[in-house]
Amino acid sequence: MQWMVWTLPTALVFVGLALLLCGMAIWGHFSPPVARRGFLRIETDRGDRLYIGLISAAVVLAGWIAVTDLSMWLALACALLVTIVIGIWG
Amino acid sequence: MTEQSVTVAGSPVGGEIVTGAAPQDGTPDSRVSVKPKNNRAWLLVLPVVVSVAFTAVIPLMTVVNFSVQDIFSPDDRIFVGLEWFRSVARDPEIRAAFVRTLLFSAQVLLLEIPLGVALAVAMPRRGVWVSVALVIVALPLLIPWNVVGTIWQIFARADIGLGGWTINNVLGIDFNYTLDSTDAWITVLIMDIWHWTPLVALLAYAGLRSIPDPYFQAAQIDGASAWSTFRHIQLPRLRGVLTIAILLRFMDSFMIYTEPFVVTGGGPGNATSFLSILLSKVAVGQFDLGPAGAFSLLYFLVVQIVSYVFFTVLTRSGR
Repeated sequence: MQWMVWTLPTALVFVGLALLLCGMAIWGHFSPPVARRGFLRIETDRGDRLYIGLISAAVVLAGWIAVTDLSMWLALACALLVTIVIGIWG
Repeated sequence: MTEQSVTVAGSPVGGEIVTGAAPQDGTPDSRVSVKPKNNRAWLLVLPVVVSVAFTAVIPLMTVVNFSVQDIFSPDDRIFVGLEWFRSVARDPEIRAAFVRTLLFSAQVLLLEIPLGVALAVAMPRRGVWVSVALVIVALPLLIPWNVVGTIWQIFARADIGLGGWTINNVLGIDFNYTLDSTDAWITVLIMDIWHWTPLVALLAYAGLRSIPDPYFQAAQIDGASAWSTFRHIQLPRLRGVLTIAILLRFMDSFMIYTEPFVVTGGGPGNATSFLSILLSKVAVGQFDLGPAGAFSLLYFLVVQIVSYVFFTVLTRSGR
């Protein structure tokens, strides 16, 4: 695995993503997702909203780093907020 | 009625699949529910998961690892955090290439989709000419990308190329794609249209052929014009294939590399330096794995977003 040049932060991110996906799969097994419409105006289930939320979070982080020198922790907080808002009300 | 479960032996998924109250008197009972009891079908997906992991997920994870480090060798590397993302996102040359590539993809979609559909509508529906038309339309798709580039590099030349010579000497228009950035852009765009409109045409043709004849007979009885038939019968039933065509053409045009690299090499100046050409310079030319990793991930993000938006709009707009 040395050729993959792992670092602790990237490993933690991928472990987090894997746990998130496993958690969603287990949740889906015990409580199947139901599609509904939120403020995104399209029919989504919780998996769709997670995907849209994560992509939106990536956009927030990329946009932030492109335009401002403010702390990336603040950007991360905004990105998490966007993901949560989309996950709950999207 | 007594509550009991019904076992269906030999079902494709095996085991007990029906639970609930079984009707005793042969009448349908709305309380009977179907509930799969095992997830054996997931095993069938396993080969795809393994192959995608090896060809896409693991390489992508490696690129993520590259993007946060300055790598001299596997043993000699420095963690730099998000520094490469910052420099890539703020690089004016990359930003210009991003706008250029988006503009190119928009032009490709605006021209190739209507042209492909028009070609498909004009193709014969039955008879011996069907095969002839299909072979002729499919020909450009059979040519390797670098050969397409070489063909157009020579064809568009003002001195020895038939196309370039005709434009200069017959039409009297000053055309030189090696010196003029607009000419270079037009050459690359027309080359892409020539190469890939057939794909749209073939997909649209397959979609048109799947429309049953009674639709057209009903339109004829109602006295519908050719345009009305197209607008209200053919076009709505092309939604599925056009979704695929738009997605394929967007992703391909947004990642275009070989043809412009062969024809113009990204020039004159930076006129046809698309994102992929710039990325290959950083990754393969300079072997700067860190910036190339950050560049690739931002590139990947844009492709993800646009593809998802297209897919969602086209597949869910009818619901």
